[in-house]
Amino acid sequence: MVGSVTTLPLQADDTVLLPERIGDLTGLDAYGVGGELLAAFIAAFIVGNLMLAMTGVAGPWAKRKITAAFTDRIAVTHLGPAGLLIIVADAVRLLSKEIIIPENADRPAYDLAPIVVASSALLGFAVIPMGSGIHLADPEVGLAFVFAVAGIASIGLVMAGYASANKYSMLGGLRAVAQNVAYEIPLVVTGMSVVIFAGSLQMSTIVEAQAQTLVSIGGIDIPAWYALVNPFAFVLFLVANFAEVGRNPFDTPEAPTEIVAGYQTEYSSVYFVLIYLGEFLHIFLGGALIATIFLGGPAGPGPAELGIVWFLIKIWGIFLLTQWLRSAVPRVRIDQLIEIGWKGLLVLSFANLILTAVIVGLIA
Amino acid sequence: MSTGLERQRQPPVEVTEEELAAVIGDRALARDDHLNAPGFVVRPDDVQDVLSDLKEQAGFDHLSCLTAQQYEDRYESIYHLKKYADPTQEVSVVVPTSIDDPVSQSAEPVFRTADWHEREAFDLVGIDYEGHPDPRRILLPETWQGHPLSLDYDQEKPQIVTLTEHANPIQPDHHKDESDTMFLNVGPHHPATHGVLHVKTVLDGETIVDVDPDIGYLHRCEEQMCQQGTYRHQIMPYPDRWDYVSAGLLNEWAYARTAEDLADIEVPEYAQIIRTMSAELCRIASHMLALGTFCLDVYGDFTAIFQYAFRDREVVQDILEDLTGQRLMFNYFRLGGVAWDLPEPRDEFIEKTRDFLDELPAKVDEYNDLVTSNEIFQVRTIDTGILEPEVAKDYGCTGPVARGSGIDYDLRRDDPYGYYDELDWDVITMDGCDNYSRVLVRMQEVEESAKIIEQCLDLLEDWPEDEREIQANVPRTLKPDADTEIYRAVEGAKGELGIYIRSDGTDKPARFKIRSPCFHNLSALEEMVQDEYIPDLIASLGSLDIVLGEVDR
Repeated sequence: MVGSVTTLPLQADDTVLLPERIGDLTGLDAYGVGGELLAAFIAAFIVGNLMLAMTGVAGPWAKRKITAAFTDRIAVTHLGPAGLLIIVADAVRLLSKEIIIPENADRPAYDLAPIVVASSALLGFAVIPMGSGIHLADPEVGLAFVFAVAGIASIGLVMAGYASANKYSMLGGLRAVAQNVAYEIPLVVTGMSVVIFAGSLQMSTIVEAQAQTLVSIGGIDIPAWYALVNPFAFVLFLVANFAEVGRNPFDTPEAPTEIVAGYQTEYSSVYFVLIYLGEFLHIFLGGALIATIFLGGPAGPGPAELGIVWFLIKIWGIFLLTQWLRSAVPRVRIDQLIEIGWKGLLVLSFANLILTAVIVGLIA
Repeated sequence: MSTGLERQRQPPVEVTEEELAAVIGDRALARDDHLNAPGFVVRPDDVQDVLSDLKEQAGFDHLSCLTAQQYEDRYESIYHLKKYADPTQEVSVVVPTSIDDPVSQSAEPVFRTADWHEREAFDLVGIDYEGHPDPRRILLPETWQGHPLSLDYDQEKPQIVTLTEHANPIQPDHHKDESDTMFLNVGPHHPATHGVLHVKTVLDGETIVDVDPDIGYLHRCEEQMCQQGTYRHQIMPYPDRWDYVSAGLLNEWAYARTAEDLADIEVPEYAQIIRTMSAELCRIASHMLALGTFCLDVYGDFTAIFQYAFRDREVVQDILEDLTGQRLMFNYFRLGGVAWDLPEPRDEFIEKTRDFLDELPAKVDEYNDLVTSNEIFQVRTIDTGILEPEVAKDYGCTGPVARGSGIDYDLRRDDPYGYYDELDWDVITMDGCDNYSRVLVRMQEVEESAKIIEQCLDLLEDWPEDEREIQANVPRTLKPDADTEIYRAVEGAKGELGIYIRSDGTDKPARFKIRSPCFHNLSALEEMVQDEYIPDLIASLGSLDIVLGEVDR
């Protein structure tokens, strides 16, 4: 469905991916397929841990500090500088808690759900170009891959909701599915409008395409980030993304005060950590996706080596936005949420897609 | 001083005692007048007739309270009737029943609110109500033996409340064969029940089919404890513990007013001003909390609004602490006055309170920016949790809940006490009947309370130093005449907080009955949430602003 736009330089082939670089540096290349696999594994290990470390900082510490700033409080201060060591304390606390599994839980679905939720988000980072050469894989269907693996999380949520044998979990699970189905489509369709601009699903190509100059104002080049080229699509994507990761004002699947904690009601200890981890990873994956396809990926002032820094700043910017909304925006009701999804976002996203296609077609 | 207390509608023509007697006619066996109202004794099988005649012909549309009690030779149910249009018009319908067979006709078909009241009367005193649609216990467990407020109840006997005889609350499947509904326990431990409340909910998908609030988890025998305390000092600490979220002084006033009227104590004007001021401070604190927790229910987390509301409530708490020495359980009122004068240095206290009042408008604006003008908030709250005025009256709803349904009813104005009728303020009503209206009413009442406090401060500041009389001359031991009965109410934070006292000539009340506004407001929940979604159930519950300590007593 994507018309090829040949005016854009396709440099994807020149991209050196992280596994190759590691293979080069360590000499693992010499050992054939086994060596390549090991190099790929090491690379994935690095990226995965980077994301997990970010989550570790975000969950126990940054979230507390940010929320506190919004609500006139101070939050953690006593452990370490600015309370940073609370991360260690929290890790110990969460891991040492008793794991309580409901008698009627449907196992192994109950045990698998947290792993599915957490790993599906982690998988998505495989194709995200994070700058400074940190890019695990660059398949031609990169964007579709991210949507696909992120979508797996829905299965995890249903599993969690169903297998817990708890009515609140069940309600949460059902809400999660209804919500994900309703917002996945606008999300993907809006993503498609970017693909029409870039002419490719490949992440590196999409990032390259945004490196062009949109306009020059007083000698400063404004890059053609798709957030600037098509702010309408950007906003649509942002909204659909908040719904997709279940953040305020769309946090209905969890909806504390309504259905206790939704699908995660019956999870404790390590399982709880995994589900929570999964949620944060999904926020970050959403942020990474937004950064990549709308905010120029790792692009930013300064040398290209700073790419990862810019990239993380953009992800954290999105994270900050989610926390801001959490502090200040009420939650919509489930029926209103579905209505916004099907009657609002879906229509708008298709309108955006068609408009983009027409405009791009006319210019090209 | 002009008072802004003009009613929107003129009160109905007063019904004289002769006319009342004519309405009741032969059905009145005798007179049993109370200090607050004429009382008519009627036969147990005439209850519905008499009540519906009083409601239809004489306009008594407010069953304010039902008191049940046992004498040596009989049981007695007293229906305290009032008018929403003019609560100073009162009448008591006294229904005696025999000791051996305490069966009385249920008033539920006439007043919906009699449902819960008669369940409570059965539960605690042991009177059976014939024709009651749902004759279960309400406060105590289903398997409780005996009726604690009856005379032959053995308090020493241990009660074994078996869990097996309850329906298993976590029983996995409550499906009936042919139905698609799901039974869901909201509470007793749930993030949004504002205390230990158990709402048995039947759902069709996410839609509410039926709710049945199960209360009594916080029943602390408050009535019994008050019956064991002496009038003079031992009862006053208890009201603080009914509506315990900072409405303490308003509750204390309920007891103070009732006992002072019972013992004929005149409170000095200066003390009344202090009472009025401190009670309104409590109202602000209480409404702040109501706003914060309602937003907690709608926003879904301990968000900015909750914290802001608590931040502002904290200032009020500090002022009250300066005044009373306590932050929650004040015990500041005394029969005939208050415990002590404003703290020294006086100027500093007045200055601090004025500072709070000066900053309040900006804070209210902040709430309006952040909460009530938020579109999502409006979508969530407007036209949800509808409580029609007629339904509200039927359930005996009062306070901000009634005023949010357009019922122009506020005891501070309609049945004046304290210093309210000398001051310039307004009663806030909203016609929306929904969750949004109830929030707006509370927000605006905060501003009205601020007006009242401001005027009280002016008066207190200029009061001549040698006339600052904070306490009337009250005998050390109060022994009101035997068989004096009185029912008095004040406008508490949540609505009409009434107390019935019957004296038996000793220094302790023979019967002490609390009319809790939350109890009535909560009973209307089932009407508000029919066919709404779970989130609206939670929001409606929040908008009722119940405190379980007051519901269960």
